Amino acid sequence: MLLELSEEHKEHLAFLPQVDSAGKLNVSSDTVQHGVEGLTYLLTESSKLMISELDFQDSVFVLGFSEELNKLLLQLYLDNRKEIRTILSELAPSLPSYHNLEWRLDVQLASRSLRQQIKPAVTIKLHLNQNGDHNTKVLQTDPATLLHLVQQLEQALEEMKTNHCRRVVRNIK
Amino acid sequence: MELSESVQKGFQMLADPRSFDSNAFTLLLRAAFQSLLDAQADEAVLDLKHIDPVVLKHCHAAAATYILEAGKHRADKSTLSTYLEDCKFDRERIELFCTEYQNNKNSLEILLGSIGRSLPHITDVSWRLEYQIKTNQLHRMYRPAYLVTLSVQNTDSPSYPEISFSCSMEQLQDLVGKLKDASKSLERATQL
Repeated sequence: MLLELSEEHKEHLAFLPQVDSAGKLNVSSDTVQHGVEGLTYLLTESSKLMISELDFQDSVFVLGFSEELNKLLLQLYLDNRKEIRTILSELAPSLPSYHNLEWRLDVQLASRSLRQQIKPAVTIKLHLNQNGDHNTKVLQTDPATLLHLVQQLEQALEEMKTNHCRRVVRNIK
Repeated sequence: MELSESVQKGFQMLADPRSFDSNAFTLLLRAAFQSLLDAQADEAVLDLKHIDPVVLKHCHAAAATYILEAGKHRADKSTLSTYLEDCKFDRERIELFCTEYQNNKNSLEILLGSIGRSLPHITDVSWRLEYQIKTNQLHRMYRPAYLVTLSVQNTDSPSYPEISFSCSMEQLQDLVGKLKDASKSLERATQL
């Protein structure tokens, strides 16, 4: 799949070959900004679409840069692709995600309304992440429900190993 | 067990065969237990109409208070007998009270045990397995993900909030592993 670069993008990127290796630029700040934006667009779109090396080279080819610059851009793309994709994935609508779980075994011995009890309970601290915020929830459950939770979630994990799921994962790529 | 004078007076009236004959006593006793444990308890009321309502109310309240206190402290038969003897109950009425108490003891303890504040309580879990293909920000994702929802019951509010979160397969394995550790530890503790 080739990346489509509009005329505007090509214009912005045209500035790149002029960058002096010493780092000093004798151009307006606008041009620099456009150049940076163009480069950003090139890299994020390529990462988003996960285009192959060949496709990337072909897309960049239309800009008419030198062989050396093309190689540099390709390397830049390959080196940063994974990280860019990680950042992009955080932009998607998301729910809090699991981070960690701490548990504690408790036995209630008495309360204001009833003495001499033996009431086991499991106290759980669930750590969740959402948009960079760390959230914790303290919950409790009884032994029977705990076993039920384990059983249900083990079934959930088993699902991934079924033929149906394996086939889907294998064929949709 | 600390009981007020009012309770004692109520029981002394209850002990008196002139105020409460055998039948009335039994009915009031049953009504007291039922009013605590059962939502509907109006059968006995009709047959007690001949007794002064003020007396009836006092005795009913005394009986209910005593039953709750006895339940709370897990009173045994001898404790009950001693107190009832002090209130001038005859042997027959003591036996009746103790029998009724014994019959209702389990329900009473369950009721008392359920009163109180606690942390939000997990009652159920539901899960969803999905295969993420793309978002508008990221194409060609191709990764499975789980969505887990915990049903939670809160003692404070009657609402039933849910806690939902997403996780990868590795994260779910971590979660399940930790829950299994907890349940194994629970099993070991019960064998001590």
